[in-house]
Amino acid sequence: MNIIVLTPDKEIFRGEVNSVKVPGALGEFQVLKNHAPIVSSLEEGKITIVTAGGEYRYYDEESGAIKDGSEAGRTVVFHISGGFVEVLKNEVSLLVTGVRNGNGNGG
Amino acid sequence: MANLKEVRERIRSVQNTQQITKAMKMVSAAKLRRAQDAILQMRPYADRLNKMLRNILSNLEGDAQTAFGEVREVQNACIVVVTSNRGLCGAFNSNVCKAAMATLEEKYAGLYASGNLTLMFIGKKGYDFFRKRYPKAVLNREFVDLFNDLSFDNVSTAAKRLLTAFETGEFDAIEVAYGKFKNAATQFTITEQFLPVAKIEKEAGDKLVADYIFEPGKEKLLDYLVPTILQTQFQKFLLDTHASEHGARMTAMDKATENADDLLRELRISYNKARQEAITKEILEIVGGAAALENG
Repeated sequence: MNIIVLTPDKEIFRGEVNSVKVPGALGEFQVLKNHAPIVSSLEEGKITIVTAGGEYRYYDEESGAIKDGSEAGRTVVFHISGGFVEVLKNEVSLLVTGVRNGNGNGG
Repeated sequence: MANLKEVRERIRSVQNTQQITKAMKMVSAAKLRRAQDAILQMRPYADRLNKMLRNILSNLEGDAQTAFGEVREVQNACIVVVTSNRGLCGAFNSNVCKAAMATLEEKYAGLYASGNLTLMFIGKKGYDFFRKRYPKAVLNREFVDLFNDLSFDNVSTAAKRLLTAFETGEFDAIEVAYGKFKNAATQFTITEQFLPVAKIEKEAGDKLVADYIFEPGKEKLLDYLVPTILQTQFQKFLLDTHASEHGARMTAMDKATENADDLLRELRISYNKARQEAITKEILEIVGGAAALENG
């Protein structure tokens, strides 16, 4: 399952994942492989991504830098203030705002 | 003929100025590249938002209805003037101000006369321009320093403020005057209507991609999606102006450096002439003196 997470300022995750948990408008839900097509708005909360192995690129909330990784089963978490998710044919697009930067401020 | 010392001092001062303009050009070129990157990085986000909107529309019966498309009789209007904080960028700021002024005169002269026109300034130069020329307009400086931090979260506070103002009826129309970025040498200064938005219509290419689940419902989603799209659009106004400013400054400083070169060439010629003249005069004096001695 392929995922891309975008903020208006930058791309914060791209790669192969096993699952992603998002704070949907009607409650938190998890997207696994072969999820039905869905569009949902997101509430304030956190996105939890579990990687599937293979190259991925992510934004590290702690240090505020873009990093590369490749290990499987790694959990990457982003805190967001809102956004949207679209799932279609194992392609997940997340458009989010309010991801914290290294200083703990919104960025 | 100017005297030698004067010319020498002028040459030095022109050289100093040229160094400054050269440095400013370089700095602007670097900043321009970063500003362009910011525009490029926002594009995928904006594109996907639009795609999402299209997806929802293709699942809707009829056109989308949003609070931001409502066309009312305009009793209160707002022109947002987006300029830079600093000068020395050619005619850029005055062009933006002129575009805003033209809109004011054409569309809102009546509102201005009755004091129902608000001018909101982002960037200091616009405020300086309008303060004296249009004393009857309401001048809003809430977001004048927005350029200090161009992150989406910061800029969207201004966009949200405008959206709320439109929803509550504080303004019935909002226009934005800004510098649209094309490339480093070309910027357009235009005024665009921000609100009410043009009707969002289905396009011929919109077709049902998939049978989506919509949470929390199509209409509700639109209520979230449309403001976000508008905020993105507003962000684009600012990023464009930012890039345009640096493009304009780069061009202006390049021209200034060239002009300094021309000036230096002329000054050097007159310096050499003055020097030559002084030498000729001295020789004449010596020869004259020697001749006088011989004759005596």
